Amino acid sequence: MKIKKYLSLTRAGILESLQFRMSLLIMAAGNLLYLIVVYFLWKAIYASSPTDVVNGMTFSDTLIYLVLATALFNFMEMYVVWEIGRNIQSGKIVLDLLKPVDFRRYMFWSYSGSFVVNFVTTFLPTFIVVCIVTNGAVPLGLNLLYFAAAVVMAIVINYSIDFIVATICLFTESIWGINIMKQVVVLLLSGATIPIAFFPETLKTVVYYLPFQSIYNAPLTLLLDGSPSAGKVLGTLGLQLFWCVFMTAVSRIFWKVSLRQITVNGG
Amino acid sequence: MENIIEIKNVTKEFKVLNRREGLKGSLKDLFSRDYKTVRAVDNVSMNITQGEIVGYLGPNGAGKSTTIKMMTGVLEPTSGEILINGRSPYKNRSKNAQEIGVVFGQRSQLWWALPLIESFKLLKDIYMISDADYDNMLKFYQSQVDIEPLLHKTVRQMSLGQRTLSDILAAFLHDPKIVFLDEPTIGLDVSMKSKIRTLIHALNKEKNTTVILTTHDMGDVDALCQRIVIIDKGKMLYDNDISHLKGFFGSYRTLKIRADGDLAQQTELVKKEFPDFSVASDEDWISVLVDEEKAKVMEVLGKLQSTHNIRDMKLEEISTEDVIKKIYEEGVK
Repeated sequence: MKIKKYLSLTRAGILESLQFRMSLLIMAAGNLLYLIVVYFLWKAIYASSPTDVVNGMTFSDTLIYLVLATALFNFMEMYVVWEIGRNIQSGKIVLDLLKPVDFRRYMFWSYSGSFVVNFVTTFLPTFIVVCIVTNGAVPLGLNLLYFAAAVVMAIVINYSIDFIVATICLFTESIWGINIMKQVVVLLLSGATIPIAFFPETLKTVVYYLPFQSIYNAPLTLLLDGSPSAGKVLGTLGLQLFWCVFMTAVSRIFWKVSLRQITVNGG
Repeated sequence: MENIIEIKNVTKEFKVLNRREGLKGSLKDLFSRDYKTVRAVDNVSMNITQGEIVGYLGPNGAGKSTTIKMMTGVLEPTSGEILINGRSPYKNRSKNAQEIGVVFGQRSQLWWALPLIESFKLLKDIYMISDADYDNMLKFYQSQVDIEPLLHKTVRQMSLGQRTLSDILAAFLHDPKIVFLDEPTIGLDVSMKSKIRTLIHALNKEKNTTVILTTHDMGDVDALCQRIVIIDKGKMLYDNDISHLKGFFGSYRTLKIRADGDLAQQTELVKKEFPDFSVASDEDWISVLVDEEKAKVMEVLGKLQSTHNIRDMKLEEISTEDVIKKIYEEGVK
C-alpha cells in the first residue's frame, strides 16, 4: 500500500505539531493582534469614505473576508522555503534524498500533518466565531463543499510555488531575501492582505492571469458567495485545477534541474 | 562470493569558484566565472562482498564522505562506474535507498520532536516493512541493547550517545543489504563506543549486512573490520586485511612522559637510553615511539622511571594520520 507511506507522514506531522503547545497558543495570540490592527485600519478607511460601500464591499464584507484570509493563511503557510533552504545549506538534504520516496511528495506529506492541526486549531475556531458574530452573514450550504475543494487545490498551488522558490534558493545560496519577496508577492497578489476588489482595474486583470489569486481569493470568494452560478463555480475551480497541474509540472522541472545541481556539485 | 559493491575507476570532481579576498573581491566574485576543479576522489576502485565490514579510513577531507555519497546515489561520479547490488545507485536512487541504510554521525535522520518509537513506525511505513519483520527486528534490538527506555523518549532529549545508537538502529530497521556508517562513534564516550561496536558486530553477524564504516578511531577498526581501505587526497593508498597492516604498524605505540629537569637535556638522556627508538620532544612532553616487538611499553616505562623523575605520562595508539604518514614514507610491503 503506497498511500500508507504518505498517511504515516501526515500522522507524524500531527504528532509533531501537537508537541509544541506553546507555539500554538502564541500563534493564536499573534493572530488576534493582527486582526485588531486589520479592524482599526479598515475602520479608518471606511470612515474616510463618503459611502458605506467601497468597491462593492461593505465594511463587514471586507472584515469577514480579511479575517478568514488570515485564518486561511495561518493554516496553509508552510515555510517550505526555509526548511529546504536550510537542509541544503546544512547538508541534511542528503538524508531526505535517501528515503525511498519522491522528495517533492515527501516534503508535501511531511507538512500535511500541520495542515490538519492548524485547520482544527486556527481556521475552524475563527470560522465558527465569524459565523456566530456576524449572525448569518456567512452562508452555510453547498458553498462549504466548493470551498473545501478549492482549499485543497490552493494548498497544492501554494506548495508548488514554495517549492519552486526553494529550488531557486539553491542557486542563489541565500534564503532570507528571496523568501521575504515571495511572501510579499504571494500575499499581495493572492488577495490575502487586500481584497482583489480594491485593486485598480489593470492590476485586477493582471492578477486574474496569475496563479496567486487561486490561493486565497478563489476559495474565499466561493465560501462567501451564497448562491454562485454554476458557471462561476466551475470557472473558479477549473482555473484552480489548471494552476494545480501547471505549477506542479513546473515545480517538477525545477526540482529535476536542482537535483542535478545537488548530485553533480554536492549542493 | 558475489560482489555487492563494485567500484571501477571512479573519479569525482567539483567545480569551485575561486574566491577573492576582501569586499572588492567579494563583489567581483558575484560575476566571476573563474572556477577551479577540485578532484575529491581520484580513480578509486574496489569490490566488496556481502557481509563484509570494511573500514574506510583517511584524514579529514580525504574524500571518504564523497565516496560514500556516490555509493548511496546522492552524488554522481564524474567518471567511472559504481554498481550497488548490480545497479547504478545514481540512476536508481529511490530503489537503491530501499536496500541501504545510512548513518552520518553528525546529523540525525530521526524526527527530533517525536519519541523514537514514532520514528520507527514512520520508517516502517516509508520502507514498507512488514509487521512480522518489524516485530522481529525490534525483538532482536531488544536482545542486544536495552531500547525500552529509549523508545518513549523524544530524540531531542537524548544524549549524543543515545541518539547515535538510535540512528544506527533506525538505519538497520528495514534490514538493508548495506549500511554506511560515517563516523558513527564521533564524540562518544568509551562505554558508548564499545556498546555501539558490539551492536554493529551483532547486526552484521545476524543479518549478514555489509557495513562500510568510516572513522578516525582505530579502536572502531580493531573491534569491527577485517579489511580496511585507506584513502588520502582522493587517492587510494591501501586496500587489504587489517592484520597485514597491523603486522606493519600495529606494534608501535607512542609513550609520552613529562619529567623533572631541563627538557632538552632530558630528551638527550632518553635518546641515549633507547637508541633503537625514535625520540622527540614537543612542548614539555618527551615522546618515545616504542616498537613493541623489541621492547614492551611497560619495560620502557620502568626503565625511564628508574633514571628520570616522571611527573606525568600518557600512552598513545598510532593514529590513522600516523599510519598514512608511514605509508607515504615507507610504502606497504
